[in-house]
Amino acid sequence: MTSSALLPVAALMTSLMASVIIFALPEKNYRLRTLINLAAAILKLTLVVVMVWGVMQGREYEAAFTMVPGVEFVLRADALAMLFAGLSALLWLLTTIYAVGYLENSPNRSRFFGFFSLCVASTMGIALAGNLFTFFLFYEMLTLSTYPLVVHRGTPKALRAGRTYIIYTLTGGAVLLLAIAWLHGLVGDLRFQEGGHFADLAPSLEGPVTMIFVLLITGLGVKAALVPLHGWLPQAMVAPAPVSALLHAVAVVKAGAFGIIRVVFELYGLEATSDLGLLMGLAAVAAFTIIYGSTRALFQVDLKRRLAFSTISQVSYIVLGLCLFGPVGAAGGLVHLVHQGIMKITLFFCAGNYAETLGVHCIDELDGAGKRMPATSMAFTLGAFGMIGAPPLAGFITKWTMGTGALAVGMDWVVAVLVASSLLNAAYFLPILHRLWFAPQSRPWPEERRWGRLETSSWLFWPPMVTVVLTVLFGVFAALPFSPLSWVELIVLREVAL
Amino acid sequence: MRALYRYSLALLPVPALWFALLAEPGWRLELPWLFFGGLWAMDELRHSVLLLTALLWTVAGVFAAGYMKERHLCRFWVFWVLTLTGNLGLTVSADVASFYSFFALMTFAGYGLVVHEGTDEANRAGRVYLAMAVVGEMAILSGLLMAAQLADSGLLADLPAAIADADRRWLIMLLLLSGFGVKAGLPLLHFWLPLAHPVAPTPASAVLSGAMIKAGLLGWLVTLPFGEVSLPDWGNGLVILGAVGSLGGAALGLCQQHPKAVLAYSSISQMGLITLMVGAALANAEAAAPLFAVMSLYVVHHGLAKGSLFLSTAMALPASRAGQRLMWLLIALPGLSLAGLPFTSGAASKLAMKELLKPDRFDFALAAYLPVLMSAGAVATMLLVWRFLWVQRAGASTGNNHPFLWLGWGLATAASVALFWLLPWHADVPQKAWLSAMVQDAWNLFWPILVATLLAAVALRLVKQR
Amino acid sequence: MTLWLMAGLLFTPLAWAVLTLLMDFRKGRVVTWLGMLVQLLVSLGLWAVVAGDGGFHYALGGWQAPLGIELRVDGLAVTFVLLTALVAAACGWHASIYLDPAKSWHRYFWPLYWFLWAGLNAVWLGGDLFNLYVGLELISLSAVGLVALGGQAAALRAAIRYLLAALLGSLAYLLGVALIYGQSGSLSLAGIARLTEQSGGDPGLAFALMLMMFGLALKTALFPLHRWLPPAHGIAKSPVSALLSALVVKASFYIAARLWLELGDELGSYALAQGMGLLGGTAVIWGSWRAFLQPKLKQVVAYSSVAQIGYLFLLFPLTWGASEAVSMQAQQGITLQVISHALAKAAMFLAAGNLIMSVGSNRVEALAGVSRFLPFSLFSFGLAGVSLMGLPPSGGFAAKWLLLQASLGSGQWWWLVVLLLGGLLSAGYVFRIYRASFVEDSDIDHFYHPPRSLEVIPMILALLSLGLGLAAESVLSIMALPFEEGGGV
Repeated sequence: MTSSALLPVAALMTSLMASVIIFALPEKNYRLRTLINLAAAILKLTLVVVMVWGVMQGREYEAAFTMVPGVEFVLRADALAMLFAGLSALLWLLTTIYAVGYLENSPNRSRFFGFFSLCVASTMGIALAGNLFTFFLFYEMLTLSTYPLVVHRGTPKALRAGRTYIIYTLTGGAVLLLAIAWLHGLVGDLRFQEGGHFADLAPSLEGPVTMIFVLLITGLGVKAALVPLHGWLPQAMVAPAPVSALLHAVAVVKAGAFGIIRVVFELYGLEATSDLGLLMGLAAVAAFTIIYGSTRALFQVDLKRRLAFSTISQVSYIVLGLCLFGPVGAAGGLVHLVHQGIMKITLFFCAGNYAETLGVHCIDELDGAGKRMPATSMAFTLGAFGMIGAPPLAGFITKWTMGTGALAVGMDWVVAVLVASSLLNAAYFLPILHRLWFAPQSRPWPEERRWGRLETSSWLFWPPMVTVVLTVLFGVFAALPFSPLSWVELIVLREVAL
Repeated sequence: MRALYRYSLALLPVPALWFALLAEPGWRLELPWLFFGGLWAMDELRHSVLLLTALLWTVAGVFAAGYMKERHLCRFWVFWVLTLTGNLGLTVSADVASFYSFFALMTFAGYGLVVHEGTDEANRAGRVYLAMAVVGEMAILSGLLMAAQLADSGLLADLPAAIADADRRWLIMLLLLSGFGVKAGLPLLHFWLPLAHPVAPTPASAVLSGAMIKAGLLGWLVTLPFGEVSLPDWGNGLVILGAVGSLGGAALGLCQQHPKAVLAYSSISQMGLITLMVGAALANAEAAAPLFAVMSLYVVHHGLAKGSLFLSTAMALPASRAGQRLMWLLIALPGLSLAGLPFTSGAASKLAMKELLKPDRFDFALAAYLPVLMSAGAVATMLLVWRFLWVQRAGASTGNNHPFLWLGWGLATAASVALFWLLPWHADVPQKAWLSAMVQDAWNLFWPILVATLLAAVALRLVKQR
Repeated sequence: MTLWLMAGLLFTPLAWAVLTLLMDFRKGRVVTWLGMLVQLLVSLGLWAVVAGDGGFHYALGGWQAPLGIELRVDGLAVTFVLLTALVAAACGWHASIYLDPAKSWHRYFWPLYWFLWAGLNAVWLGGDLFNLYVGLELISLSAVGLVALGGQAAALRAAIRYLLAALLGSLAYLLGVALIYGQSGSLSLAGIARLTEQSGGDPGLAFALMLMMFGLALKTALFPLHRWLPPAHGIAKSPVSALLSALVVKASFYIAARLWLELGDELGSYALAQGMGLLGGTAVIWGSWRAFLQPKLKQVVAYSSVAQIGYLFLLFPLTWGASEAVSMQAQQGITLQVISHALAKAAMFLAAGNLIMSVGSNRVEALAGVSRFLPFSLFSFGLAGVSLMGLPPSGGFAAKWLLLQASLGSGQWWWLVVLLLGGLLSAGYVFRIYRASFVEDSDIDHFYHPPRSLEVIPMILALLSLGLGLAAESVLSIMALPFEEGGGV
């Protein structure tokens, strides 16, 4: 195996190997397990950074072999893959640290961390997949490895949520498989390629190809939580906070959105999708999801459920950005992949901190939490403002870029959708912020725990601090060459050759 | 540690003040790594606004050092600093992203000042403030987005020209006017103002009314297509809104019981007068530049006067009668200045305004009414001043004041009365021998005050008889 | 060299069988271990030979067909031989630890086991109809005996039922063979195939084929002839269930497939092909549904076998009248399905046996807390489940993929519904087991922990079925090895 093939495989293997070792470790060896977890996460991040560097220099990393006759298993590190891979690797490290603190003294940690590593391996595979078949492979692996995380607590509620999750995701997977098999039968094994394949499509194929697109989006839309396929997501909130953070910021929802990006940009091609009249439909679904998700969020009393509906809404920004037929709009959608990940994971980390330190799960229990846990509340505040799209945070960069892109192609209604969504976001986040900082504590905390100097355990404290700093940096320094926005602009340049 | 928080309130704006006093218009700072490419600059207009902002925040900060109680001092300090940063930053921002960022920072952090006291009233005021502010922010965002996309540039300076030539100029202007208008207290968008300004701690009210309200005005002035195109219809509309604001605000203010509420409505009324000028500037492109100069003068005058008036509401009167008399005189002076008493800053501003707003210079329909409106505005202002003094006297108490309260209020009053004349003014303000001009126009300046005093005396009689 | 290998495959198991008949359980166990090792080596050796030189015909004792016994060794046959060696070795090793040496009748396990193995090899390698029958009978009788080894009344009842079904199936098959022999005068498959090619479809031969299909379908437990399977596989001891589900039912299917591929084009019909496919599809849905409802763990796995067997019968419609490429895809898919199901189902039954032994009950609800205290056994069960559901990267998925392609390629899109729906339904019962095991019951470990070796065996099998998915291409390329013509009349 040449070195250019070695890197993607190695990046995948770090978490796979970590998973196997962790499964083999007895439950009580928590120190060794923590060590392996962190070492694997750091190693993976290093490998990803090396690959990012290489891709920026124009190098290609690829590993392929024929798995089943007629179809290849391909791992390829291109610019788009690195965007998602970088996000995953970074956030895996932070979530691992967080999870170590969160699950302290709870049972079944070996099981948890084993599947956790498997989940991240699947995500890395999704990022690096070079064709739909490989993508599907890791997509289903992701489903399987996240189920034990969702049902981790073993309570009846958790098991019910797990069942809903599996029904949705496996059905989505079956639809996706149908679409992939059909496409294969029609046009053979197509690798992802910048600009897509269907620019000059034979007219006889247009009908089936359109049908296949609908099926693909349906299959991917389950994980990407497009309405009406979103039902599993709010229920999955019963999982421990590190799982919610990972599911909603990095792994599952982003995998669906990333799949849609690959399909629209690198399988079909933006122009072909538009010619077939599919972009408008997708844009409508995305816009509806944005408004619906935010509206539902208004009525949630549980903090994590509110954040869940917020996620449903925000992930559709990415899809909507794709439909803005142009480089600027596409950039806005793509960069939100990173920005939403960072901001949402901050919010979930903070929600987990409130739950672990104070026993608070409902919003009306948050009165006065700002005084007790100022740093966490500050991180939550900044994350919330990021979601609202207030400058100078990362969310503002997304909204501005998407708005500009929408106006440039004459889709002005998109600006109205963005504004309405921001207003709704403000409506459901600002009251929480008021409670945190300005409402006096009305009753004792449900279950308070003290940790000494810091307001909470240091494992739980630092990850949200890191992500919130990134939220600010990605916003303020968006023009710098290493910001997500610049990286995305590079990608879009290659993808959208208009 | 607490002492550090307390006394730094006074010191923090000083560097900005120093900078404002020393820097020359024409200063630029390029920040290519910021947002989409940042640019901070200062022209004549911004110079005046920065001066006012820095000065007012400094005196209010001094006042706050003495006024604020220990409870939630840290929290107050955080929001004070954030709002200050936002307010200062937006005055020097020359690119869209920076401007919007600082504006948003000021707006959202200002919430913390409004709800600081934690009473039900304060929370309700905060809710209204925030709701309207967020809607305003969204309108501003939409407007800026559309303008920036058309201009294909991230700099504020490129926006007016792009808006002037836009297909949907009406929409962009509507969005920007209403978005910034929420902050500026435009009628129908003003509902938060009389709720929020009174309920905030006094030094915060001073900066809310004195400086933050001007941010809305600045927003109009830097984005709308002044000088690029003449829009008589918009001019008419704004003049009407200005008249409604000026007179309606005064009318509502006269019904208020609380001195800070009276002052809040007075701010609405004064902003109405400024809106008249904005309307005139929109209607005739060539009148824009000189009007900017006068508006900047007005901004400084009103800000300082309103600031000291607000600060006086929290002062306790000295025990001796002579001391009380002196104090009332000093309290009344900025008020009289607002009304245009000769030899005050208000007089200078009004004279400058009168000179420019001559009907024959403009060719939009309502131009003829401008002098009438201005006079009516002056009468209304004086009535409000009397009302303010009345309710203030009703609620005043004697006692000691913390030294910093004396210092802060004293500085504010001195700034309004005397320092005003020493500050660097906008370069385009018509140069004149102010003293002689005021002597000449003394009657013009004085008769509205007289009318108002007479009306007030009549009203007092009627009330006393009942 | 090849002589010895061939002899090893067919005769040594018989020898081991006779040997262990004379011993008790423990000594029989030791002999079996030795025998398993020998068989594995021989199978590997044969595989290496075929990989190197290609397939060949082999006449036993130098007596050519039609009189002598002719064996046919091609890529497919040798793969199945190796598969048998792996799975049977695993099951035998598991049984040697799992079965209780105290019970004296358990010593009959070894001879029956070896007879079964011999029969299986005979079927894989058989080249003419009668030898196939012999192998089939050997398998059936050994299997019945193994089922009855449980000893309880229920096991005996299940064994009797199985025996009746097996006998009926064999009778039908024999009748068909007789008819064919009467018409064509030959028993060799190759010979008959040539004959039908030349003479075209003959209604008598067609009827014979249908009879044989009926008999074989009965032995393979195709819906609606499946009623004997769940009791037999569910009540037998776990290593026996594993052998039965993994290998025994595949033997009769193998023969049916062979017949169809050689003779089906002429003697079969569209109606027959679609009909068998339809029955297979119904089996998938019916079996999965029944599996979902079963309260006992091993019954769930047994009905799962009924469902998975249904997939195999999709071979018939997908290869009848289809193009070369599509037919090849279908055959490859079915082959992968057979292999991966064998590995996965064996793993599943062995793991289920471990779980039942640990939990002390064979009910599904009793599994609460297993995921916390017995993760290893549950994990092998889980991995095997992945292959059954046809989820990547398992062998089951590779098989499903190829079958999907074949369905699309031949325009028979209705099988897509069966394949996809079947996957979802199997997820239903697999996840039911997962869910039961994740229930948090108590903090105390009250389970009996089985010996590590017992837990390792199903894990190895499950991992192999996963690995099959990754190495599908290489496995399939072995099966497509060129065949050396020769022998037969």
